[in-house]
Formats: sequence, structure tokens, C-alpha cells
Amino acid sequence: MLSESYSTPESIHPSLWRASQLARSSTRCIDTGYPVLSAQLPGGGWPTSSLVELHLRQPGTGELRLLQPILVAAGKRRVMMIQPPHVPNLIALAAMGLNPSQITWVQADRTADALWAAEQVLRSGGCHALLFWQSHMRSESLRRLNLAAAEGESLFFLFRPLAAAHDASPASLRLAIRPALGGVEIDFLKRRGPQCETALFLPLSPSFTHRHAPVDRTTFTPAPARGLRAELVE
Amino acid sequence: MSLKARIAGVKPAMRRGGVLMLSPEARIHERTAAREEAALQAVAMAMLQYTPQVTLTEESTLLLDIGASLRLFGGIRSLRRRVRVDLRGLGFTGRLSCAPTARAAWMLARAGGGHALKQQSSARALNRLPLVVLPAARSFASWFEGIGCETIGDLRRLPRSGLQRRCGRAVLDPLDCAFDGAPEMFEWIEAPAMFEARMELFDRVENADLLLASAQRLVLQLVGWLCAMQLAAEGITLKLEHERGRVARAPTEVEILLAEPTWYSDHIMRLLKERLGKVVLEAPVIGLVLHATKLQPMAPSTESLFPEPGGTEEDQIRMIELLVARLGEDKVCQAKPVADYRPEVANMWVSIQEKVREETVTRQLPPNLSSILRPTWLLVRPIRLLVRNHRPFYGSPLRMVSGPERVEAGWWGDTAARDYWVAEGQEHALYWVYRERIAGTGEDSEPRWFLHGLFG
Repeated sequence: MLSESYSTPESIHPSLWRASQLARSSTRCIDTGYPVLSAQLPGGGWPTSSLVELHLRQPGTGELRLLQPILVAAGKRRVMMIQPPHVPNLIALAAMGLNPSQITWVQADRTADALWAAEQVLRSGGCHALLFWQSHMRSESLRRLNLAAAEGESLFFLFRPLAAAHDASPASLRLAIRPALGGVEIDFLKRRGPQCETALFLPLSPSFTHRHAPVDRTTFTPAPARGLRAELVE
Repeated sequence: MSLKARIAGVKPAMRRGGVLMLSPEARIHERTAAREEAALQAVAMAMLQYTPQVTLTEESTLLLDIGASLRLFGGIRSLRRRVRVDLRGLGFTGRLSCAPTARAAWMLARAGGGHALKQQSSARALNRLPLVVLPAARSFASWFEGIGCETIGDLRRLPRSGLQRRCGRAVLDPLDCAFDGAPEMFEWIEAPAMFEARMELFDRVENADLLLASAQRLVLQLVGWLCAMQLAAEGITLKLEHERGRVARAPTEVEILLAEPTWYSDHIMRLLKERLGKVVLEAPVIGLVLHATKLQPMAPSTESLFPEPGGTEEDQIRMIELLVARLGEDKVCQAKPVADYRPEVANMWVSIQEKVREETVTRQLPPNLSSILRPTWLLVRPIRLLVRNHRPFYGSPLRMVSGPERVEAGWWGDTAARDYWVAEGQEHALYWVYRERIAGTGEDSEPRWFLHGLFG
């Protein structure tokens, strides 16, 4: 009896899991739209009402294309963008399938205002997703936003630079996104589940690999020296 | 009388000398009938949100007929709680009582509060009250004391005809109204056709945040007035009156515009708080005036049978208004695309307070949306790229993977003649770059490359 409950710890309490398993999510999860990625996430998707951190080396590495399936699923509800790094291009967003009238772009002059705005949006809980870009975050503001997210039911993605990946964070899911040929590579920095050493490759559109000879990713040779390469292409 | 004075031993009906002996730092104010009247009027105005039948009666008492409001406000307990909170918000203390008849409630309130919901319990409570509660009985107080008659109950046991002969109907009439429900006529107060509330502050205030508590008093009156008139406010102006020094100073105006007309005090107060937090006062404020500038007929929301998961549309609008109040209206933007080939012109964002119809948005979008390739991030100002070995360079040499797409528009003003490419850096990030087609001569004849967008 005892050994049986050791082998299935989730039968003792739903929030228990073995280090080799993925945890069950305590909140509702929304499918990511990529079966490969969903299989690697606890609960099988992006968790709602919790803080999800995405670490980027630079803006424009495919972060919005990665979130496209769930942003499109917004339906009639609002998608808020607080302090995006550049001006959102609404034609591209519309081409992705989002309704431009539901996107709200919030700019704040000071960090305190941005944090306040994010907290108000989360507490109201009315919008489908909140995308928040902030480079410097203190751990108490992170904790505050995490609690505010738990009050509402919206998806909350916080975009931070890759350098912040080493800092502690109360987020239950932290991913690092790197650009790769024809898509992105995702490192699982933190998740309720086993350590993942290898990065997950996810193909994204637009992809331009098909314009050239098919290249096997694993045997991709590094680019030759700059001078030679330029001549070759010209 | 403040709590401190009470602890020092000050009692009502004490003389000035006695009070000053007990607590030398006591501040003694003269009673001003006009101000008391104005305060009662303010409370009555705020109470109009609970019932249209509010009246001022003798001895600073307000009577509210709440028979029809009980269900709307969730029963007598929650209604009492709300009235008490509002009274505190207005800055007054009061004694609350409720009873099945107006006169009984009046007598209970004068004797210190209490509530009775049935005729029997109301009669029991009234019988215990001292008879000096009745204004008409006070002139006969010593006579009543002489015959051992102290409470209302004792008074009612006296023979009615004898009592009427000695004291007149003035003593008996209120009792008939209170106990037996004899009809009583009241003149309900009527809301004025225009709303303007003004108040003087307790002191010269130099901090805008401190004004909030005083402004609440005006907002509560406004809400009462709006409910009585069945109106909703779309625009509110709060004027901060400054002290008249050597030069007369025009009052500072704080204007609040609402996307959705409202008549809820807590929403108006939240917006006021954010707006007052941003106001920088040039001079101390001595008075506040509240106007309702734009009004709409009230349209109560229809509640759905099942609660929506993300809150209602009104909650959303309230949240957006709160953001606008703190960040400023040009900081919260919505999309309003313009049909233009130049990407920076097509990508137009306007303030969320502008009314943009959804058809306009879809009409201005290009018809072949899925076939055109655009980056998700546009740089506000394109970055001039270095050129190494005749190739644009941004962190690493860029390799063109798609394009070119020729954009040529705006000859009537801001001319743009560009060839756009999608370029890939060495670390496989995608960039949207363009080459200017109008090159200069001589040294400028080299093609100029710019980075204009990122594929997020």
C-alpha cells in the first residue's frame, strides 16, 4: 500500500509529482497550438492566471509568432501590450489573425507607472492576454504581479532580457527563446517537471528555408568566413 | 464634540468657562444655522441615491422612505451599512434608526438610534423611550415628572381625553402616527435641475492628494443627484478654488471625461484619485466646486444569467479609463490603420478615447492580408545600417532571404521610394531592411540601407 502511493505520489495529493514527471497544473491551461511544445509544459499548455516569463536575447526573435495561436484565440476579448520594445505593426498583427480593434497598446513613462498599469489590468481580469515588456524588475514587483495574476483569469506573459534568466523569480514557468533557422529554439529554464537539457526546436512561419536547397538542421555547417561568403552570394 | 473632549469630562449643556477649565486647549465653535442647514441639504442630496423620497424634518433629522428600495440594495442590513459608509464619507456622524412608521423612526433616531422592523417590536422600543423625545411634551416635563410619568409607555397609559384637555393634540398626534400608523404628510425634497456643489475646505490645502477626501463629499452628492434625475455623467469638472492673494487666481480645473456614462461613486473616486495625483498645485486651495458638464440618460446595464469569465464589458471600460486617468490619454492607444503603402503611415495608433468603428478598421486594412509580409515591430526611426563588403551589416552580415518588395508612395509630401527585403542575421534573427532608391551623387551615390522592422 505504502509502496504503491510512493510510485504514484499524485494519488496522495494532486499537487505532488515525481521529479521525472510533469506536474499537473493547478490553473486552467490553454493549448499552445504546437503539440511538441504543449507536450513539454505542465498542464499541456500556457497556464492562465499565473506569471509566465519569456527571456529573449533581443526583441524580434519570434516571440509574438510563438504566441500567435493563443492570441488568435482571443475572440472578442482584449489583448493588452504594455511597454512593447517598438511600435507594434498592426498590419502584421492583423495578418497573424488578430483583430486590430482588440489590441490596446499602453506606454508608460516610468517603470512604476508600467507596473501599476500591469497590476490594474491583471486585477480587472477582463482581458484575454497581457503582454508586458520590462527589462529591470525587482523581485518584490515580480511577486506582486504574480499574485495579481492569480486574481484574474488572463494569460500573463512577461518578456525579459536573457541576462535576467539567472535571477530568482516566483514565476512557475520560465522559458528562454533563441532564434534558429526557420523557427525558434526554446530552453526550459524553469518548469514543474524534469530538467530539460536540450533546447526544443519549433518551426515558425514566415520561414525562408524552403527557398533554398533543403538543409538538414542537425548537419547544418557553420557559415564560412565573411569575405568569402559575400563573394559567393554576390 | 470630539472624543478627546469627552474623555476630559466635557458634557453637553456646559458653560464656556467650565469647558475651558476641564480642557484648556478646547476650541469652541459657534453654531451656525445656515451651515447646519447646508450640511443637512448635502446629506439629503447624497441620500437621494437610495430613494427618491427624502425629507428634512424638525431637529436635524432626515427621513427616508426605503420601502421600495430594500430589494434593490440587498435588504435592510446592507442598506443601513451603505448609508452609514456614505455618511462617514460625507464627513458627518449620525444616528440611524428604522421603523415601520416614519414618526417611530424619527423618535428612535432622536433617542439615539435603534431599529425595529415590525409594528410590535417598534411599539416595545418606543414604550421604553423617555417622553422628552416628543418636542411637544417638553413644556409639560415637570408636570409629567410630578405624576411619575417618565416614559412614552407611561404617557400612553394616561387617559386620552384628559391628556388632550391638558396638553392639546400636539402630544397625542405624534403618538398616533408612530403607534397606529395615522397618515402623515411629508414634503419630499426635489433635486434641482442643474447640479453644482461647492464646499469650503477646513484649511488651506497645499497637497492635491489631501483634496480627495473632501472631493468625496461632493461626489456623493453628485451621485445622489444623478440617481434622482435618472441621469449618468459623461464629463465632470472639479474646480479647485485658490486663495485670493494679491492677485486673483483663476481656479484650477480638473476635468474627467468618461467613455461610458457612469453614476457610481467608487469609479468616479478612483478616476479622481489618479487625476488629483498628477495635479501640481500653484497655490493653496480653499474651496472645491463640482460640476457635471455632460449628462446622458441613465441606461442601467442588463445583467446576464451566467457571469462572464472575464468580467463584463463595463469592467473593461472602467479599467481602461483608470489607465487613461493616470497615464494620460495619448499613452493608451488603439489601432486605426490607414490605407497607405508606406508602412509607417499605414501603422497609425490613436488614443483609446477616440471612437473608432470596427468597419473603418477592416476597410482600411489591405485586402490581401495573408499574402503580404510585414514585421510585427516597426522602428519609430529606421536605423541606418553599416555596409561591409557591399552587404548591410547589423551585428553580423545580413543575408537576404526574401524580396525585394518595392514601395513607392507619397510623392505629394513625404516621398518614400524603397526596396524592402527580409534579411537574416548570422544568429538567424529576421530583420526587415530597405534600400533607398533615390541615391545621391558623388559620395552619397552608395546605396543606403536601413533597418525598419523586426519579426517578433
